[in-house]
Amino acid sequence: METPTHPPSPPGDFVAFAREHTRPQNRFVGCSRITDYEILGKLGEGTFGEVHRAKSKKTGAIVALKKILMHNEKDGFPITALREIKLLKLLSHPNVLKLEEMAVEHHSKPSAKKRAIMYMVTPYMDHDLSGLLENPGITLTEPQIKCYMLQLLEGLRYLHDNHILHRDMKAANLLISNKGILQIADFGLARHYDEPVPVAGCGGGQARRDYTSLVVTRWYRPPELLLHLRKYTTAIDMWGVGCVFGEMLTGKPILAGDSDANQLKIIFELVGTPTDENMPGWRNLPGAEGLKFPPHPPTIAQRFREAGSGAISLLNELLKLDWKKRVNAIDALKHPYFRNAPLPARAGDLPVMEDSHELDRRKFRGQKAAPPPAPKGGTVGMGVGNWGGEPTANGHAGFGNGDNYAYRQQNGGRYPPHGGHRNGVPPPPPPPIDDRRRAWERHRDDRPDTRLPPRPPPADYPPYDGSRDRPDGYRSRSRDLDRDRAPPRSRAGAPSVDTYIPSYGPDGGRRDDRPPRDDRPPRDDRPLRDDRPPRDDRLSRERDDRPRRRDDRDERRHENRDRDRLDYDERSRHSRTRSRSRSPIRDRERERVREREPLERPYDRDRDVYRR
Amino acid sequence: MAHLTNPLATPSQLYALTTLNSPLPIDLQHSIRFYTARLTQAAGLLLRLPQDITAQANVLLYRYWLVDPLLAWEFSDVSAATLYLTAKISASPRTLRSITNVYTYLLSLPTFPSPTTPAPTAPPDPESYYLSETAYTTYRNRLLNIEGQILNALSFTTHVSLPHPLAITYLQTLSIFSLPPAVSTRVAKRTIAHLNTALLSPQMLYLTHQPPALATAAIYLAAREEGVKLPDGEWWTVFDVEREELGFLCVGMRSLEGFVEEERRRWEGRGVLTREGVRGEMGKLGLNNEVGNGVEEDEESQMARLLDEKVGAVST
Repeated sequence: METPTHPPSPPGDFVAFAREHTRPQNRFVGCSRITDYEILGKLGEGTFGEVHRAKSKKTGAIVALKKILMHNEKDGFPITALREIKLLKLLSHPNVLKLEEMAVEHHSKPSAKKRAIMYMVTPYMDHDLSGLLENPGITLTEPQIKCYMLQLLEGLRYLHDNHILHRDMKAANLLISNKGILQIADFGLARHYDEPVPVAGCGGGQARRDYTSLVVTRWYRPPELLLHLRKYTTAIDMWGVGCVFGEMLTGKPILAGDSDANQLKIIFELVGTPTDENMPGWRNLPGAEGLKFPPHPPTIAQRFREAGSGAISLLNELLKLDWKKRVNAIDALKHPYFRNAPLPARAGDLPVMEDSHELDRRKFRGQKAAPPPAPKGGTVGMGVGNWGGEPTANGHAGFGNGDNYAYRQQNGGRYPPHGGHRNGVPPPPPPPIDDRRRAWERHRDDRPDTRLPPRPPPADYPPYDGSRDRPDGYRSRSRDLDRDRAPPRSRAGAPSVDTYIPSYGPDGGRRDDRPPRDDRPPRDDRPLRDDRPPRDDRLSRERDDRPRRRDDRDERRHENRDRDRLDYDERSRHSRTRSRSRSPIRDRERERVREREPLERPYDRDRDVYRR
Repeated sequence: MAHLTNPLATPSQLYALTTLNSPLPIDLQHSIRFYTARLTQAAGLLLRLPQDITAQANVLLYRYWLVDPLLAWEFSDVSAATLYLTAKISASPRTLRSITNVYTYLLSLPTFPSPTTPAPTAPPDPESYYLSETAYTTYRNRLLNIEGQILNALSFTTHVSLPHPLAITYLQTLSIFSLPPAVSTRVAKRTIAHLNTALLSPQMLYLTHQPPALATAAIYLAAREEGVKLPDGEWWTVFDVEREELGFLCVGMRSLEGFVEEERRRWEGRGVLTREGVRGEMGKLGLNNEVGNGVEEDEESQMARLLDEKVGAVST
């Protein structure tokens, strides 16, 4: 049989050329062992698990190991993880984070009950864009911004050209190495799309089928998704690029809405209210019913006047209300902005930036979470948890319970809690009260800037109300199953503020270390916009965004913790309850919930998700 | 493009199969692969899965058996786990309950359904394939465990590129569809039939050849069998296939008929092939059938055992 070894081919033999240049995947060797890596330290808690920096003993390369815990999943290996892994294995582009391989860690005493722990091995990246922007010591220059934008657009063009919608474009999912390379990470929400790929000059094209509109982190969610367009296109990712671009220009998220309604409002304040000209068909979108906004002129030019006309022009293209006319990646790459002085820097020429990694960022921000190397969000799964850091730190005694949680995303047990569970909604355990407030405050300041809502929670938004029931139902159901002792939750409860605080408890010390962030503009204004009663609520809401992503396990964990520690006060209890009940589920969660009809059957959920 | 290619078995992997599955004789290995793939196929039909899912499941099945020994798990369990896994990541997932039901049904049949055996006159007694809740839970856990084993063994390489869509494209390229519809349909059907049959090949053609080669060989055979003339000259090079590879694949695909005939003579009239059945067969052949309970015998104990046998044989 001739196949395995191909005879040397004559020059000009395209077959041979192609063979030599395909991604080496011609083997199934099994996963490598975790012992093939030398763990160099924890980078932090990603959204769905811990991330470690490690050195490959085989190649010497520094990698990031992201843990996917195999828990007692009713449906076996989590489908979202499988899907993401499958996608990542098919992709190969300098601006898309590469999945090097999977590594497995066997338990020392193998038993039928405990499953092995799987790690996703990706190259180690020094920063993520969100963390970079948060670092007060780092200011991006215009050539640098152009350089990153070009890489981002290149990566996105590749994805779109390969029929992939990323669906979670945001600064936190863009990883940057000290060599100036930007890579798109986190394919937990990504999916294949059926329509023809974008072509130059034609925007995102036309969608033929429905997809779920419950995707993309709120701050980066395009208006058509906020209005529940189901037939969306690659244009949704381009809106996210626009948001990221604005974020790079200003150093903080430009559209940090605290509810879906508020998100729409501030979008329209920035780009103008929709009309039949600038957003044809918007009136017919399901979410547009009954919406009224006082006419508001666009303020982009004003808000970004310091960035120059080229940047404003590109921003206008990316943040176009009309999704059919919004620029696609191919055309955006040709935008004059990239050809005018100052020219984009070459990646290699970029300054090596302060190692603003997770831990460093923590200094600034307190709870950072996801380590840059690992995509936080959905990498494996579903929801983004909180960003990370939430400190559920390790070692907290209360966390031990993790094992018992049957949570889809796994993460179970051996490792204590990490903060970011993507799945669920996690009520955090109450920390000492004193810390609490402070944590909040701090949190609030920091949060907004960057990574706030990883994936925005749905609940606040009236239009979602209909759907809210389901998620709630779902959650509560699982909650009930999982923890009998859970205190009753009531919607009327107090604001959820405290709820989350607890999760910081363990981390409190760390956070306290952070210097106050005076350098950043106070974000209080944003919360004020919110129509809700002021109070801690605001904070809590913001907070909610993140924590919500955690899953039941977290919740339960907290629960347990609560049980264990009686020191929380009335208020916290209150809030806890409240938050839980009302807390919107994060997008992913939401998505899942929504999509599956029968709540009882997680399986269906997944299937539905996949189909959309 | 990664989408269009598959990971292939390396020569050393193929070579190591003998030791991996020792002392299972090669013909029994072939039988296991063949019948288990057929089992997957049957289950796929009962589950109303699209053929591409079933085909991918069978490719995964063979891939898995390249890494782990055939006797490590019950064959039907491996088949069910691969089918479940493949369906799970596809657009047509099936619940574990459906899968276990179908496999329980298939395992309950006294005779594995085959085109040559007459259909049973009376439908089987439903009680014979009823799966109670406890039995289901056990079954499920078993499958999920194997799923993990499979993922680990394959290093999560769950993507399978099938030659079927390529074959259609190639047929179009060769202008087959401009022939009278009756002819072109026959050729196309025959092509697909060859591709599906090749999935069952004990030679594991899907692990040794890329989809373009499989598609080309199937077209070549189908056209010859249907008497359709293909372009003069080495048209297959257009599809990145070399003459030797094409020749090998044609022989491989054609040889399946004889192989199946032999298998049928050997196993006809039996139910689903199980480890039990294989051990029985090994007993008949006078082979040690102690191994294979999911516990791999290490080299040392194997040596010791062989030595004991030798000594025993001499002393008696």
